[in-house]
Amino acid sequence: MGKILKVDLTAGTLRSEPLQEEVAKKYLGGKGYAVYLLYKYLKEYEAKGILPADIDPLGPENVLIFATGPGTGVPGFPCSGRYHAMALRSPLTGSVGSANSGGEWGAFLKFSGYDMIVIEGAAEDPVYLSIIDGSAELRSAKDLWGKNVFDTCRILAKRVGGKNVSVACIGPAGENLVNMACIMNDEHRAAGRTGLGAVMGSKRLKAIVVSGEKEVPVANPEEFKEISKRCLENMRKNRVTGEGLPMYGTSILINIINTAGALPYKNWQSGVNPNADKISGETLAATYLIRRRACWGCTIGCGRVTRVPSGPFQILESEGPEYESIWALGSATGVNELDAIVKANHYCDEFGMDPISLGSTIAAAMELNERGYVPKEDLQGLDLRFGNAAALVEAVWRTAYKVGFGKYLALGSKKLCEIYGHPELSMSVKGLEMPAYDPRAVKGIGLEYATANRGGCHVTGYTISTEILGIPEKIDPLTPEGKAKWVKIFQDFTCVVNSTVNCLFATFALGVKDYAELLSAVTGWSLSENDILKIGERIYNLERVILNRLGFDGKDDILPGRLLKEPMPEGPAKGHIVELEKMKEEYYRLRGWVNGVPTAEKLKELEIEL
Amino acid sequence: MPNVSVKILLFATFREKYHLKELMVECDGSLRGLIESASKILGEEFLNDVYEKERGKIREDIIFMVNGRNIKDLKGNIELKDSDVIAIFPPLAGG
Ligand code: SF4
Repeated sequence: MGKILKVDLTAGTLRSEPLQEEVAKKYLGGKGYAVYLLYKYLKEYEAKGILPADIDPLGPENVLIFATGPGTGVPGFPCSGRYHAMALRSPLTGSVGSANSGGEWGAFLKFSGYDMIVIEGAAEDPVYLSIIDGSAELRSAKDLWGKNVFDTCRILAKRVGGKNVSVACIGPAGENLVNMACIMNDEHRAAGRTGLGAVMGSKRLKAIVVSGEKEVPVANPEEFKEISKRCLENMRKNRVTGEGLPMYGTSILINIINTAGALPYKNWQSGVNPNADKISGETLAATYLIRRRACWGCTIGCGRVTRVPSGPFQILESEGPEYESIWALGSATGVNELDAIVKANHYCDEFGMDPISLGSTIAAAMELNERGYVPKEDLQGLDLRFGNAAALVEAVWRTAYKVGFGKYLALGSKKLCEIYGHPELSMSVKGLEMPAYDPRAVKGIGLEYATANRGGCHVTGYTISTEILGIPEKIDPLTPEGKAKWVKIFQDFTCVVNSTVNCLFATFALGVKDYAELLSAVTGWSLSENDILKIGERIYNLERVILNRLGFDGKDDILPGRLLKEPMPEGPAKGHIVELEKMKEEYYRLRGWVNGVPTAEKLKELEIEL
Repeated sequence: MPNVSVKILLFATFREKYHLKELMVECDGSLRGLIESASKILGEEFLNDVYEKERGKIREDIIFMVNGRNIKDLKGNIELKDSDVIAIFPPLAGG
């Protein structure tokens, strides 16, 4: 069994603890193990008389966890360079904070000798954590505070030197406690959602640099070799993981989602963007794409290295934008200039912000402004109107530094729209801005947004795979029938993926059976398909228990009114709304929940001890 | 034979392979007729790329949409009408 590094920033102390096998058998690793630990903290706080609602997301009592899993860093385990980050509370949502990132950091953390890091407390002055070849220490980061993500990564990598060095850090947005700040690693990779960068900033933890060459154990190496070979071969042969994603990256989705009438446009006023092709993956490939880039241990390589050679939005070299960032910074804001979107996305990486939440917040501000709800003196000349590319780019850096109108944008769309008296214009669930699929045109994803534990999220239950892409089978996006079953399966299976920890994109080619076999060979436990789905369900339910303790239940499993009451105005889903209640009823029944709360019988069945 | 005029949009690798974003096609209104007419413009290979001759069907592994609806989700026989828009994608994904 591996090790957990526990860091108390208030006391400035570090200690190492072994991973517990009985916990790993029930919760695997990564997200699952982190959820288990977060629940334990919550219980300890309750025993001390600290109520969940009293935990300030930006206070020292919040806990931040970086977690790898049994698959992470294992050579031959598909796409396994990742880590999962979690916090007891997100500053953006008040619910559990949760995000996942690629690059190399996850694998290199393991090579450094630790499987997980738990951060408690807050430092007086800025520090960074260094873990090199099994030895961990806190060092002053006074010289790094204020630096952007790229400089921080480069300076620390150079300071450590050698191979297998990787840096996770925050940029100015995290330092300035911007609610949608992310944790960045390897310069352009992000644990993007739910504002974990602000949690790191509140702890005055600027960075974590990891390096090492420790071998990652595999219980049954011969068996693993065979299974891995088969899985990697399948991924190479699969036209999605072997051709589509490597060639075009994620932004290849822009045109198909728009064709299905599901690409939210101008703050979700429509699902059809008449200029989608101008910002599509095909256009990116034909214009600013230089080459592709893969995360550690990945044969897909969906990452894009890009350059804008000239003009006002010139960039020497960047990475991305991804499908989600193009949509949020482009389609949601009505901006059609791909070079401006590349620049805005580059700033998001440089300052460390989630482009989904930021783009959506800017889009909400544009609608507020166009409807005349924002006083001119608040905007200070920032002309936030749909389609204004220059204002988009300016809004991004203003948010990172909370300058001018940026201080309102930094709150996220929910609080922004509340301040200006129109909460209905925030396209968010539980305070987290929804991603790039309009559920009026893809019903199942609406149920996922409503019930996702971390808020308006697509990747914890990606029904787009079956509703639009036909993987593993094609179902009609316009009917609410039968969607609850799929949402539950995707949510449970994704918990397994995020606890493994490897990349969700591997699942376009690999199924539950492949994961059961890979994980069995790596851990030496004999895990069936049912076993791992039960682990996934257990993780999802325990995470939901934490949500319940934080005050979230069925009343929060909702969607913005626009999606429930305003019929889609055009396209193939014209006239459709989301029949949420109907889907939710079936979903709760399948989950064994009442009003968004797992029943005692369900918890018993899943062997969750509270 | 009714004569209908429809628009075909090509995406991703199809767009690259045929160096074309869109084309107008006249056909008899059936999917087979549409593919045959398009093949006269784009070449025989297009027929193989999107159609399984033996089964007389659009290939299972591509995404073929009529007016934004995947034909796999449309019930019954598909009769194309004037001004219909056909979008053709290779297998793809993202997130
Ligand atoms: S598929 Fe893309 S995001 Fe996933 S591990 Fe590979 S390069 Fe990274």
